[in-house]
Amino acid sequence: MIRDRLYHDMTNRGVTGWLMAALLTAFYVVLYFTEALTPWAQRVGLSSKWDLYGVLYTVAIVGGGLAVMRKYGHNRYQVIRTSVVMFVQVVFAFSIPQMLKAMHQPELYLSYFWPLKFDYGNPEYLAQQPMWFIVYSIAGGLVLVPLAGAFFGKRWYCSWVCGCGGLANTFGEPWRHLSDKSTAAWKFEKVSVYSVLGISLALTGILVYSWTTGSKAPVVVEFQSWYGLIVGSVLSGVVGVGLYPLGGTRVWCRFFCPMAALLGITQRAGKRFHIRVKEDMCISCGLCSKYCEMGIDVRAYAQMNESFTRASCVGCGVCSEVCPRGVLRLESESGLVQITVGR
Amino acid sequence: MHLVIVGNGVAGITAALAVRAKDAQAEITVISGEGEYFFSRTALMYAFMDQMQRRDLEPYERHVFREKRITLRRGWVTDLDAEGRCLSLADGVAVSYDKLLLATGSRGRRAEWERKLEGVVNFVTLQDLEACERLTPGTKRAVVAGGGLIGVELVECLVHHRVATTFLVREATYWPAALSPEEGEMVVAHIRAQGVDLRLATEVASLEGEGRVNGVVTTAGDKIGCEMVGVTIGVEPNVDWLRGVKTPPELGRGVVTDGGFRTSLPHVFAAGDVAEVNGQIEPLWYAAKRQGAAVARAILGETMEYGAPTYYNSAKFFHLEWTCAGETKGPGRFRKLPGRDASVRVLERDGIVTGFSMLGSRWNHRVLVKWLEERRKTEDVMGRLSEAQYDVEFGRVAL
Repeated sequence: MIRDRLYHDMTNRGVTGWLMAALLTAFYVVLYFTEALTPWAQRVGLSSKWDLYGVLYTVAIVGGGLAVMRKYGHNRYQVIRTSVVMFVQVVFAFSIPQMLKAMHQPELYLSYFWPLKFDYGNPEYLAQQPMWFIVYSIAGGLVLVPLAGAFFGKRWYCSWVCGCGGLANTFGEPWRHLSDKSTAAWKFEKVSVYSVLGISLALTGILVYSWTTGSKAPVVVEFQSWYGLIVGSVLSGVVGVGLYPLGGTRVWCRFFCPMAALLGITQRAGKRFHIRVKEDMCISCGLCSKYCEMGIDVRAYAQMNESFTRASCVGCGVCSEVCPRGVLRLESESGLVQITVGR
Repeated sequence: MHLVIVGNGVAGITAALAVRAKDAQAEITVISGEGEYFFSRTALMYAFMDQMQRRDLEPYERHVFREKRITLRRGWVTDLDAEGRCLSLADGVAVSYDKLLLATGSRGRRAEWERKLEGVVNFVTLQDLEACERLTPGTKRAVVAGGGLIGVELVECLVHHRVATTFLVREATYWPAALSPEEGEMVVAHIRAQGVDLRLATEVASLEGEGRVNGVVTTAGDKIGCEMVGVTIGVEPNVDWLRGVKTPPELGRGVVTDGGFRTSLPHVFAAGDVAEVNGQIEPLWYAAKRQGAAVARAILGETMEYGAPTYYNSAKFFHLEWTCAGETKGPGRFRKLPGRDASVRVLERDGIVTGFSMLGSRWNHRVLVKWLEERRKTEDVMGRLSEAQYDVEFGRVAL
C-alpha cells in the first residue's frame, strides 16, 4: 500500500526522509536566525516567535506521545514514562513559564537545569532571578540531578523529564532506529560529548570568576556568544532536530549535550542502573541494537551474556520492549546482580 | 593447524571464534554457500518485515573477522575426501584441512505434496528471504502450511505486508508438542485476532497451478486460491549434500557423532543443528551456540562428553511471548492470569516440579531451570513464582 511505502521511505532515509530533514532544518534556521515567524505568532495571538515555538513543541510532544502510548500500550514502563514526558512538557515547560510571563515574572523553566540550560549556571543571569529560583537552580543542577543520576541512571532526566529527550521519544519515535551503531560512531561520541562538556564547564568557571571579580573581559563575552550560537542554537536545534530523519533522534543528546555527558558519568559511577541480560537466551536478532536511539550495540552485550551500563544509555527501555525473547531488563539496583545458576 | 568449517551459522562461527580465543596460530577458514557473512537466522522475519536491512542481521561487525584472522570463503562444498583431508568446492577449488567441522545446520523439511513451483517457499535461508520479498508484491493471498515457530513468523510477516493469509495447522490444537490445549486456544485466538484465517486439523492435500502456484486444496477438500505457499512443517538436519561425497560420515537423522562431536571420519567433527550427538539433535539457536563453543574445545584436543543441559526455550506468537523450561507435556497446574492474555502452567510428578510453560508474560528461565534441577516441591515453587518473573519495570504481571 502506498501509505506503508511512504512511511517506509520517510523513516528510512528515502526521498521524503531527506525532504523532511530539509524542512526541519529550514524551520530551525528561520526560527533562530530570522524574525519571519514573528508575524505568524502575532496572528494567532502570541507575543513572540518563541511562544509559537513553545506551542508547536508541546503539540509535537503530546501528539507523538499519544501515538507512542498506543504503540507500546502493553508495556507499562513505556506508558508511565511517556505520560510523565507529556506532563512535564505541558506543565513545567509550557504552562508555568507562560503563567509566570503573564504575571510579569521572569519566564523560568523548572524542568531544565545547568549545563543544558546554560544560563541557569551563569551567576550574572541567576543574580537577577528570584531567590527561590536561585536556590532551586543551584541545588537542582549541582546536587539533585547528578545524585538522582547516580541512583536511577540518567534516564530519570534524559528520557523522563528533559524536553529534548521528550521530543525525541515522542515526535521522533519513527526515526529512532537511524542512529549509527558502528564502533567508529561510539569513538566520535566519546570525543565530542566530553569536549562540549569540557567547554561548557570552562565557560561556566570563567563566568563565575568574572562575576566574583566584577570584571568581564570582552573575549569572555565573545566566548559566551559563540557558545550560545554553536551549542545552544546550531547543535541542539538545527542539527539536533533537523537530522532526526537522517541520523536518528538523539544526535544532540548523544554527541553534544553537556548534561547528558555529566549524567553519563554519574550513571557509570553510581553503579546502580544497568541493563540486565538474561543468560543464554539471546538469539542475536539485533532488534535491540537497531532500535537503540543512542546507537549502542546492545546485541554485542546480550549475545555475550553481559549485563552492562553504558554512559550514553538514556534508559528509554525500547531495547527491552522490542526483544522477542525478553532478554533485556532495565534495573536500578546496588551493583550488578547476576543470577548465575544451572549447568 | 588448518581448521576448515563448513557452514557460517551460529555453531560454525561460535566455534571459529572460540578456537581463535585459545589458539592464536591456527589457520581458520569458514566456507558458506549461503552468504559471505554470519547473519542471525532468527532475524529473517525482521528483514522480511523491512524493520532491518541485511547488514543489521549480522551479529558481528565485519572487521571482527579480519581482526580474528578468520578467512571467509564463499562457495558450496561438493565433495569430502577424508583420506586426502580435502574438500572440493562447486567452483572447482580444492581446500585441504587438518581438522574439519561440519556445521551446515538445518533446512526446511520438504512436504510430500511439495512441487517445484514458483511461489512455493520455505523460510529458513537468505535465498528463501529473497524469494519471499520478490513474491510478496504480487501476492493477494498466501497459504502457510505448518504451525510451528517458523510458520507463525512467516504468517506475521505476511500480515505485516497486508497479505491475506490462511494458516493451516495439522494438529487439532495449536502446537501440542509444547502447548497445552488451553494455551493452544489462547494462541489461536491471538493469531486469529490479527486477521489470520487459521484452520486447525487441516493440511495441504495438493498444490494447484503449473509453473506458478495458484492455489491449494486442503485435506478438508477446500480450494484456496493463492499466489504464495509457505512450507513450514519443521526443519531437518542439512545432510543431503553429504550422501554423495567420496567419504560420507555416518549419517542417521543428522551427522552421527559421539559426546566429543567426533563423526565416524577421522579429524572430522560436527556440531549444531546438523549434528546428532549421542543420538540427540538440538535444533535451537542457544544449543547451536553452546555446541559451537563446546566443539571448539574438542577440536583443540580436550576430551569431553557433551550432554544437553535442562531444556528451555522461548518464542513469540505475534505479541504473545512464551517461555518454557524442562518438560512441557504431562500433568500439571494451569492458571490463566487475571486481566491479561497470560497464563502459567507448572508441570509436576509426585509433587516435584518437572517443567514450566509460561505464556503472555516474561520469565527468567534461569530461575525456572534452577528450581527444576533442585527438584523443588511444587508447593514451594507455586509460592515463590514471582521470583522468576522478568517483566519490565512497573509492568510485573499479577499472578
